This record gives sequence, structure tokens and C-alpha cells, in this order.
Amino acid sequence: MNKKLLGFIPFLIFIFLCVFLYQGLFGNPRELQTGRIGQTMPSFVLPDLMDESKQWRDTDLKGDVYLLNVWGTWCPTCIAELGYLTELREHGVRIIGLYYEQAYDPDFGDQFDINALRNEVQNMLDRAGNPYQFNILDLDRTLALDLGVSGAPETFLVDANGTILLHHTGDINPRVWRAKFAPVMQELSE
Amino acid sequence: MIPEIGYFSLVLAMGLSLLLCIFPLWGAYTGNLRLMRAAPSLAVGQCLFVLFSFAILIYVTLTDDFTVAYVAHHSSTTLPWYYKVTSTWGGHEGAILLWLVMQSSWTALVALMSNSLPWVLRARVLGVLGFLGVGFMLYTLWMSSPFERLLPYYPVEGRDLNPLLQDPGMIIHPPLLYMGYVGLSVSFAFAIAALLTGKLDNTWAKWSRPWTMVAWGFLTLGITIGSWWAYAELGWGGWWFWDPVENASLMPWLVATALLHSLAVTEKRGVFKSWTVLLAITAFSLCLLGTFIVRSGIIVSVHAFATDPDRGLYILSFLGVVVGGSLALYAMRVSEVYSEGRYKFASREVTLWANNIFLVVATLIVLLGTLLPMIHKELGLGTISIGVPFFNQMFSILVVPFALLLGIAPMMRWKQNQLPPMVKKWGGMLVLALALTALWLLPNYEYVAPMTFISTALAVWITLGTLLDIFDKAPAQDSFANGLKRLGLSYWAMVLGHIGIAFVIASVTLTSAYSVERSVSMKPGDVAQLNEYSYRFDGVKEIRGPNYSGHAGVVTVLKDDKFIVELYAEKRLYDIGMQFMTEAAIDDGFFRDLYLALGEQLSEGAWSLRIYHKPYVRWMWLGGILISLAGFMVVADKRYRRRKIKGAVA
Repeated sequence: MNKKLLGFIPFLIFIFLCVFLYQGLFGNPRELQTGRIGQTMPSFVLPDLMDESKQWRDTDLKGDVYLLNVWGTWCPTCIAELGYLTELREHGVRIIGLYYEQAYDPDFGDQFDINALRNEVQNMLDRAGNPYQFNILDLDRTLALDLGVSGAPETFLVDANGTILLHHTGDINPRVWRAKFAPVMQELSE
Repeated sequence: MIPEIGYFSLVLAMGLSLLLCIFPLWGAYTGNLRLMRAAPSLAVGQCLFVLFSFAILIYVTLTDDFTVAYVAHHSSTTLPWYYKVTSTWGGHEGAILLWLVMQSSWTALVALMSNSLPWVLRARVLGVLGFLGVGFMLYTLWMSSPFERLLPYYPVEGRDLNPLLQDPGMIIHPPLLYMGYVGLSVSFAFAIAALLTGKLDNTWAKWSRPWTMVAWGFLTLGITIGSWWAYAELGWGGWWFWDPVENASLMPWLVATALLHSLAVTEKRGVFKSWTVLLAITAFSLCLLGTFIVRSGIIVSVHAFATDPDRGLYILSFLGVVVGGSLALYAMRVSEVYSEGRYKFASREVTLWANNIFLVVATLIVLLGTLLPMIHKELGLGTISIGVPFFNQMFSILVVPFALLLGIAPMMRWKQNQLPPMVKKWGGMLVLALALTALWLLPNYEYVAPMTFISTALAVWITLGTLLDIFDKAPAQDSFANGLKRLGLSYWAMVLGHIGIAFVIASVTLTSAYSVERSVSMKPGDVAQLNEYSYRFDGVKEIRGPNYSGHAGVVTVLKDDKFIVELYAEKRLYDIGMQFMTEAAIDDGFFRDLYLALGEQLSEGAWSLRIYHKPYVRWMWLGGILISLAGFMVVADKRYRRRKIKGAVA
């Protein structure tokens, strides 16, 4: 190719980049997390955290509105929100846990001790409150990946048909609940 | 009154910077020597006024002048004096002023140390630096003045410095990073001056090289300390998060690393000229882009600085002018450049070219991972999130060919090599590297994953290659020791830098593979076992610091019933922000760190504790320090000083 034209490539790439940076400046970066809204729950088959013989499928969850709460005992914010989530459960909100194990990486030959994890989870839930109907164990983080989870805690509000209505990153507290979740729940119950 | 003097001093500095930008560039264009000669004194002058302004900010912070908004928001009366000083760069406005201090100091330094340069080049370099100075000063004065007042209603107590930033690591982390960023602006100025002059010969590379090396050294050290700070201060033993703000500092580092290798080729062999110039422009552009990302709030980050679209718009415009302008200049001038040297495939030129390719690909990966989610959204394709697994995966793939190359690179000669004898040598090296790795890992660990083994072997391979090369090159007529001496500081810098990389690779691999952690709830007297260490919980003490109170968990660490260390893992509550902070207790060692964090109080005197055993984690920062030393060593090389003088005569 002509050397003269070749020299303009970096310039053009930069201009291209600038257009996006300019647009991005006026967008809301936090909206980045809402990619799954309106889509149906991805299909999966994953074991129960407490009982390996039990397998959960996406279809098992349908039929009722529920919150899917991504959490782990390693995550302090997740522990902090357990109390409020338990309160929500007592008010009849159905909450399903998606257990996100952070430290495990099979590529590096990590050993995984399911029994130790179960003990830890049980201790934690006994102490901080147990908001969960049950917990799904997503050891390879495939479902978390499909859902676009970037960390924990994150919570999805899913309706009876399995459509994702809300995706919240960060903890759920009374303020978040009132502002974000309660109106949607209200609408659903009407 | 005093804060206003600080502001006014900055206005004067900007005036001088404006002249520094106009006079020498115009003088160089018209060939007016008197205008060009004004540059050094203008450069020193603007620096003095910026320093004065910064001194005033420190003064108002130390005297707790809460009528100044910046002080009221980032300091308090109970803050220890040294943290008061560092609070001057703990917030956005102050951080930008610190940047200015660095920018103007580097400019003055270039002015003072460039008297061997021809005037046309010297004037242009300083003119470009003056232009950059004006850009940052205008920003400070217009949009982010740290001297803004809160009159007539000002608070009697400040809001205190974010507890996360009350740490020695944080005192030096930002200044070091800025030293690196701003130092790269010198390489940038040299590149632009060379483009303007139209003479892209190797003299340009020769002068630019020591400046680039130092800037790179600072950048390396800054990143290393940042990683160490995160590890020590965030309380869960992580050391790199692929956070946009971290990526913003990693990208210039990767390109600067490519740049300093490419500069070597340009200086010594006169090839890759236009590529080197492009790298110099890119390295600094990425510093500006990083600043834009961090300061505009365009991407959500845990570092979360204030988000303000006006500020973002200013930085983007500045970015557009500086980067767009220089890339346009590059596009117009690059076709006039021709390479002189010739080389074959098996040569150092090609090896360094491959090194550049890997580093640029790595930069693109980071850039894509950081910006793609945003671009994707703006294109209306919905949103995606790219997280840690993406970066880890890409880098663990990329490191294999890169490290293989790094192991043999030092042995390559310029122009041409005889391949068959070298291949034989590499075969031997490979066998040795595998054997040593096996000896190292297999007896120590029950299970070694293939990936762990390969990565560790790569680190060994790099070290072997580097050491073998010393033995190849050192022999002299008289003695081996004299041979070593003759190798020169630049060569030793290379050795240090490459071994530093090996340390980092080994550390990342082994820490990721063999770190273990346990969460336990313990009552006083309880003992927990993790690997070969037992941890005895001796209860909790109340603690009281200058601006915080809290609890310290006392833990005695034993190995085979022998006392190793007593650790205090603290949980602090800072008085003013009522913020909780976990201050982890770390017993550092060459081969392993024991890391302890205190959790919540449970029932009946029991506390939750988190225990980590992290093998070889310290090698990461040791590697980082070795690498940055390499950057500083090159400057001390006598060869460079002599070269400079020779350049002046020519």
C-alpha cells in the first residue's frame, strides 16, 4: 500500500476512538450493567449448593416471580445484605441464591473442597440470616458469565415467565429496594 | 489572601508557559536564535511559580484553613501532619496540581540539561513541553482550582482524608505514577520536535533514550507500589484487579516498554525510525487517555473520582488537539522517512520487532477490554461486561511466546546470526529449565497443574537465558571479573529488567496456584491450622489512633510449636467519616506471606478471621523494583554521558 496513506491509519483510528469517547461522556456508565434486561433467563443445568444430587434447570424456576442473588461468603457486602434480604423473604419475596466461588481456578490446579464450603455457607447463613429458598452452585461461573455478572453482589429480578426485569449491581438495602425493586414488584402484583 | 496568591502564582506560571510555547517554536520556524534562547529561562520561571503555588496549597492544608474548599473536603484537624501533606494530592484538584508540579519540573529539567542539543531541536522540545504545560494549567485554573473558597460559610472541621489513602504506599504511589506519565511527555516532545525538524535520524533516539528510561522507571515503580498498596490496604490480599484505572497506567507502561526497546534499535541501527516515533506519541497519548478515563467518569471504576462532564469535555478536547495534532503531523511526515540498515530474519532487529508486536498486542487487549463495553453500548449493540477472566486468559496466552522470546533475545546479535548452533544451545537451555522447574515444584507441592508448570518454567527459562548470556559476553583477555565490569551499565540494566520480569511471572503463577485461605471463627485460645502454620487467637485489644479507634486481633503464629511471629490484625473506625477499614496484618517473607484480616465480632467473644497463606507473592514487587532499577541505571551509564558530548560536537 502507499506509504503516505499508511501513515494516516493511526490518525484515523484515533478520530474513530474520539467519537466514542465523546458520546460516552454524555452517557450513563452505570447503564452498562443492564444488558440482560428484557431477555429470558439463559438455560442452565446446575447442582444445588447443599445437595449435589439435586440439579436445577432454568425451567424449574419459572412460575413465580423471584430474585436471583449472586453472592459468596468471600464478599463482605454480600454478607451485609443477607439481613435485609432475609427480611424481604419474611415478607414473602422469593429469593434464590447463585453461589459465585471466586477463588477457584481449575487452570491452576485449584482443589475444591465442597464440604468445607457447605460448612462455611451454613455457618454464615445461620449467623447472618438465610434469605434463600435454595442456592445454585455455579462453580465454573458459566451462568454468571451468561448473565453478564461482573462481581458480587448482584441481583436480578425475574418474572414468572423467566424474563429478566431488573439487574442491580451492589447491595440491596431499604433505599434501593424502595427506589428500584418495589415499583416493579408492585406492577407485577397488579 | 494566601490561597489567592497561590492561584495568582499559577496564572503567572501559565503566562510564562504560553510564552514558552510561542517564542521558541516561532523562533525555530523563522530561524530567530534570540527567541529560541528565551526558552530555558522561561521553562525555569514557570516551574518556580508552579512550585510556589503548590507550596501554598501545602501551607493552607497544614494550617487547617477550612475556608478553602479543597482542604475542607480532604483534610481535618486530627489528621497527622504527614497525611495532611499527602492530602494535597488525595483529591482531584490537588492531584492535577501535583501533575503540574511534575510537568513543570520535568520541563525545567530538560531546559537545564539539554545544553548540548542544537538550538533548533532544544527550542522545539521545550516549546512542545510549554504547550502541554499551558493545557494543564488552563484546566487547573479554569475547572479544577484547589484554591476555591467556601466563603462566607465554612466548616469548623474538615471531612478528613479518605482512610484508604492514609497509608505510606499512597503517599508515594501517585507522585511516582505522575513522574512516569509526565516523563513520557518528554519522549513525546522529542518525537514531535524531530517530526517538526524533519530529521528523524538516530540522534533524536540517542537523546530521547535516557529520558524515556527514567520515565519508564518511575512508571514501573508507581505501578508496583500501587499493586502493593492494594494488597496491603484493601484487606483481601488481591494485588491486581484489571480496574480501568489500573489499566490506564498499564497501557502506557506496555507501550513505553516497547518504545525503549525500539529506541535502542533506532539509535544503534537506524531502522524502525517511524515506528519508534509513533510509539513515543502513543505512549504519552495513552497517559492522556488514561487521565481522561479516570477523571471523566466515563467508565465505572472502584477508584471512582468525581464525575463531571465539563471536565471530561476539556480533557477530551485537549486530548484531541495534542494526540490528533501529533498523529496528523506524523501522517504528513512519515513518508519521508527511509530506513538505512539491512538485517536478516535471525537477528536482534527482528527479535526486538517481535517484542514490540507482543507488547503492542498486549496494549490493544487492555485497551479493548477497557473501552469495548462502552463502544459496544454506543453502537447500540446492547451492553457487555468484560471482566478479570478475559484479561487473565488473554495475558496467560500471550505470555508464553513473549517469555520464550525473552529468554533467547539477549543472545541475538545485530544484522544476522548463525541459527543452527544457537538452536542447539536453546535446546540445552530448555531441558535445563524444565529440569530446574521440576526440581523446584515437584518436591514442594502435591499437585502441579500443567499451566502452573509451564509458566514457572518460562520464568526459569528467562533467567537462564539472561545468565547464560552474561557468561557468553563477559570473558575477557585477562579475567572473568574484568569481563563483567566491561559489560557496562546498560547491559546490566537489561539483565536486571529481564530477571525482574521472570520474578513477576513466577510470582503471579505461584501465588495464583498455591495461595490458600481460610475463614474461621475463633475464640481466645483457639488454634487454626493452615498449611504448616498454626494460628493461635489471643483475643482482641482496643486500639486508639490519632483519628480512629478500633480493635486489634492478636494472633500468635507457630510452626512446629515454635514461635514465628505475633500479628495484629486491625479493624479501624475512622472518627470523621465513620468509615470502617480493615488493616490487615502481614508477616512478609521471601518465600511466603502470612496475611491476616480481622472480620466481625460474633457471639460470646468469638471473632471471624480470615487467614491467607500466599507463597512467593513478594517476588512480584521485588520484580517490579528490579525492573524500575533497570530504568534508573541506564541514565548513570557513562556511555550516555560521553555520547551526549560527542553529539554536541557533531
